[in-house]
Amino acid sequence: MVAYVARRLAGAAAVVYLVVTISFFMVRLMPGNAVSALEASLRSQGGMTPQEIQQQVSEIYGVMPHSPVWRQYLSYIGNVARGDLGRSVLNPSESVAHIILGALPWTIFLVGTALMISFVLGTALGAAMAMFRTSRLCQLVSFIASVASAVPNYLVAIVLLYELADMHRFFPVSGAYSVNVRPGWSLAFIGSVLYHGVLPISAYVVTSFGGWALAMKGSSVSCLEAEYVRVAKAWGLSDWRVTRSYVGRNSMLPMVTMLALSLGFMVGGSVFVETYFSYPGIGYYLIQAVNSRDYSVMMGCFMLITVAVVLANLFVDLFYPLVDPRIARPRGGRASVPGALPVPGKGAQGPGSLVGVEA
Amino acid sequence: MRRALRDLWRICRSDKAALAGGLVVVLYLLVAVLGPYLASPGGLQSPANANLGPSLQHPLGTDPLGHDVFASIVVGTRPVMLVGVLAAGITVFIGVAVGLLSGYLGGLVDAALMRVVDIFLTIPGLPLIIVIAAIVHTTSPVVLAVVLSVTAWAGLARAVRSQALSLREAEFVEAARVQGLPLGQIIVRQLLPNVGPYVAIHFLLDVTGAIYAEVGLFLLGVAPITGTNWGEMINSAMSEGALYSSSSVVYLLSPMAAIVVLQVAFVFFARALDTLFNPRLRSQ
Repeated sequence: MVAYVARRLAGAAAVVYLVVTISFFMVRLMPGNAVSALEASLRSQGGMTPQEIQQQVSEIYGVMPHSPVWRQYLSYIGNVARGDLGRSVLNPSESVAHIILGALPWTIFLVGTALMISFVLGTALGAAMAMFRTSRLCQLVSFIASVASAVPNYLVAIVLLYELADMHRFFPVSGAYSVNVRPGWSLAFIGSVLYHGVLPISAYVVTSFGGWALAMKGSSVSCLEAEYVRVAKAWGLSDWRVTRSYVGRNSMLPMVTMLALSLGFMVGGSVFVETYFSYPGIGYYLIQAVNSRDYSVMMGCFMLITVAVVLANLFVDLFYPLVDPRIARPRGGRASVPGALPVPGKGAQGPGSLVGVEA
Repeated sequence: MRRALRDLWRICRSDKAALAGGLVVVLYLLVAVLGPYLASPGGLQSPANANLGPSLQHPLGTDPLGHDVFASIVVGTRPVMLVGVLAAGITVFIGVAVGLLSGYLGGLVDAALMRVVDIFLTIPGLPLIIVIAAIVHTTSPVVLAVVLSVTAWAGLARAVRSQALSLREAEFVEAARVQGLPLGQIIVRQLLPNVGPYVAIHFLLDVTGAIYAEVGLFLLGVAPITGTNWGEMINSAMSEGALYSSSSVVYLLSPMAAIVVLQVAFVFFARALDTLFNPRLRSQ
């Protein structure tokens, strides 16, 4: 168990370190990179001595432009470790950490709620489909689920925005809460936040419940046909007991694995969903920064998104032994989705395929 | 090969959705190849033609610059499909190479490669793609395809590795090893054909993943615009205020419909291949 936790922690630390390194190289060493671009633009504005320019650049990006690369790298890592992500290029009086930390809770709220809703909805639907897998209704639901999971989330966001916010004004067009309420733990504020969250969350749920339903169906069907289930039935165990302890628990295992994998995809999707709904989350700021060439905010958003996903993954990993105690034993591996096709990020599509059995 | 095609036809006949999916994919491929010869959206801007509704001359109306929307969609198919297929090709190549090497060699190589795969599986793909695209700012389809496949290969590598792990113990691989065949030949001749079907399905789904991300990049205006494509059409429709007027809604919705139809078709076609290569499913 200790070895398992240590291994997961080390893995998470390695990813974070790698991402910080990637960020450094992208900001500093790419041809036409952000640091020299900023230097050039400051120089062309005039009125600054070279020392002042260097000072300004190092405040924004946290590296002195003309010191040796290894020293820049070390100071960059040191800054990031202390939580100093530099300052915004457009607005040097604001620190990047301040901007993006204010945005993070909104993204966690959207993605977390959407993930929970689509997970519960999808797995319940999938389990029901497995129970009644020969009925017409199941085929119809399965068809709808495949179509819904193939539609890109940004298109759903645009359609929702067009139909329900612009044309009919059922829901607000932008923002996380109404300008008329003061943020705080008041009923009005919470109501406003939920009201503003409905459309963005729906855009996620519509496009992701199908993947969960299909994966859960595949997983439950293969459990239902397993020998141990037949044996349990032959013993005369009650239907409820068989469903809950033999089918339910085993078919949920791969779903927990998928939970970790789909997190990255959901957070990635926030780039589109938040941009279209002008929702002040981290994906919205990432795109704003990209479009205004504010590279320090951009890299800050990227690092924070990655760290959030890594931590969430770590959480799932540490939680997993509770669901499946075998995993923490030596040579254990996460369960794979039995007989489901992994679609990049979208979870599984279609019931069953040849691969998916971890050796 | 002939038998596989016959089986595919049999499966498609019984599964109408798969048949429709396959036909649509073929149609899109044809349009991608022939598109620029079939239609032209009209090069000149003409205010007199702007924002027309659907008519016989313009089946989907015209955009705010007076270009024919249907023709734009036809012409825009090629760049979208090209980058999608290229990116899926790169993804599959790297994924299969890493997976087979890792699974077949085992030991330290396997451990090291799988750590790398774990890292790429954890990094959220889309934000990384957006950041790289914003910095590289490429107009070349090949570079864009490379950027799009930057994390996608990891999932495939994982799956192929577990296949290779079990193939390594198979007798025919053992025989090849005993005969002293070089590593490259064992991997290409003995292992590759056995993961082929899985890779084919993965390729199709990778195309949809790449198109999702690619259109997204153009949609957000992150990738520089290099000509007509669907993402750019939606982007300009949005910035022309298509959301606030019903006159240009066809202009906004038609490229979206083109994407949705393609994505759904790919998924259903992939399902037919899945059934073909996985006889266990056919009995169900």
